[in-house]
Amino acid sequence: MGTTELLQFALAGLKNGSIYALVALGFTLVYAATGAINFAQGEFYMLGGMLSVWAYANLGLPLPLAGLVGVISTAIIGGVFELLAIRPRKDGDPLAIIIITVGGSMLLSSMARHQFGPTERSLPLFSGGGSINIFGAVLEVQTIWILGITGVAVVGLWYLYNRTGLGRAMRACAVDRDAARIVGIDTRKMVTVSFVLAATLGALAGMAVTPLTQTAFDVGPTVGIKGFAAAILGGLGNPIAAVVGGLVLGMLESMSIAFISSTYKDAIALIVLLGVLFVRPQGIMGRSKREKV
Amino acid sequence: MGRTRIDMRVVVLLVLVAAVVFAVPLLTSDRYQLKVLTFVGVNVIIVTGMALLFGYAGQVSLGHAAFYGIGAYSSAYVVTSLGWPWLAGVATALILTAFGGLLLALPSLRLRGHYLAMATLGFGEIMRVVFVEASSLTGGPDGLSGIPYPSFGGFEIDTAGGNYWLVWGTAALCLALSANLVRSRSGRAMRALHGSESGALACGIDLTAVKVRVFVLSAALAGLAGALYAHVVGFISPSTFSLHVSVVIVAMAVLGGTRSLAGPALAAVLLSLIPFADAVLPGLSRSALDTIQEYQEDVYGLTIIAVMLFMPAGLAGVIRGISKRGRRAE
Repeated sequence: MGTTELLQFALAGLKNGSIYALVALGFTLVYAATGAINFAQGEFYMLGGMLSVWAYANLGLPLPLAGLVGVISTAIIGGVFELLAIRPRKDGDPLAIIIITVGGSMLLSSMARHQFGPTERSLPLFSGGGSINIFGAVLEVQTIWILGITGVAVVGLWYLYNRTGLGRAMRACAVDRDAARIVGIDTRKMVTVSFVLAATLGALAGMAVTPLTQTAFDVGPTVGIKGFAAAILGGLGNPIAAVVGGLVLGMLESMSIAFISSTYKDAIALIVLLGVLFVRPQGIMGRSKREKV
Repeated sequence: MGRTRIDMRVVVLLVLVAAVVFAVPLLTSDRYQLKVLTFVGVNVIIVTGMALLFGYAGQVSLGHAAFYGIGAYSSAYVVTSLGWPWLAGVATALILTAFGGLLLALPSLRLRGHYLAMATLGFGEIMRVVFVEASSLTGGPDGLSGIPYPSFGGFEIDTAGGNYWLVWGTAALCLALSANLVRSRSGRAMRALHGSESGALACGIDLTAVKVRVFVLSAALAGLAGALYAHVVGFISPSTFSLHVSVVIVAMAVLGGTRSLAGPALAAVLLSLIPFADAVLPGLSRSALDTIQEYQEDVYGLTIIAVMLFMPAGLAGVIRGISKRGRRAE
């Protein structure tokens, strides 16, 4: 295989990896706040794409505004879902939250089917179908948009986490929820915030990728599992690890297509998921910690 | 602690329910009705396994459709392609699913928390890819058809009523054995760890061993259900064993409630009948059925959320409430 082809596969891996990174960040934020896995995370990705298409095609809004409407309305849905379906469960039992989000995932995708129909939908490319030539490999302009949106989202999240009071409160919750409550942090509010942020990040990914891949009511679970594999690969609960995990997973998938075959492309993420769970459950960037009774 | 006293009214109720269930093929000869109700029995078997896992061991599997599928495909393959008898197909299904369950449970249950849910989710999706791609064994996306009926020796069970009795007889056997298990020493260990893992550990219960055993048992029950389904229906394809099916099985166990076998069995019957409501409500119009089928996912999703929020003990809690009130009224 020539260097140019390899570079082409690497660019594809970077693009998919940054999508996985956004979805993985959503998993990690909710995990940090609740100790549970949000199985509806993939549905936020689906809603981001579908609601943007709806705002563009049905409301006739210009593309940038339609994308904004798609992301903001998904963020609101994320918050409302938390308030209606997670918060009433007062004990915050992680197993109960996992099961609730499994039900929520089914409900959200079904509601999207009633609202937007069963067919695949698409958005136009954000700035035409141009591409740049990098050492012979083709980089589509839409891919630059995806990388840029991911970059801005990651920097924004970093700022929120490290430079604001809200971010400090969220980090405190991630370290020890009970201790955070004792020092006066409203931990329930942090759970709502984590769902709103997770929905925003998922929706950004779904919105940015729809012009390239199209979207439909049933794309959520597949992307959700890949994002989750990325979060586990990096180390659940750590935002930087989620980004690294996403990029590594995207590269692994791309290289498996380049060197093995594309038949089992979708299985790569799952094998990574099981492999990491069994061999190194704390992820590549996590520190091993022993559970005490 | 000696044997718990058995309430005579419960025994009478069980005998009555069993009599009604077993009389169905005598009351109707409608093939569609019998087929739907047979399918309901298959789901009762899977959900019984899930009820042991969720309601007693406090774990959840999001990939039980994979074990269901492994059971169905392995039994169908050895019977159709290798010419083995059906009972050997069932044995193959049980061995493969129990072994698969063990391989999955050992590493993920060593860890505390909910790694099993994630591992089973990943496993279920891998198996879905395998069912589609390993077409020389599984027939690919088109599936396998012409799978022979269950048979014992030379005797083939080829009537709708016969298959109904076979499936429900097996379901009754699984329920009876599970009821026995939860009253036994290991059953008490299971209940203890559902109450408090630390407490159970302090009592000298090997948490991991108990959870692994329950998971292996629930995987094998799903495999058994698969081996019945493949031969009773005669056709299998990957869509029967998708993530959606795994989630519906969880919905049944959740609605059924914890520390109960009757609740989940009842929930399996109710939720399985939603898409086939016309089989039990003969007057139902075509358009009403279409509406029900259109919204069945919403019903499953809402059921899961509502039960977890407002009646975490599920149908089992309702049943326990009624029987307690009955006892007080005496």
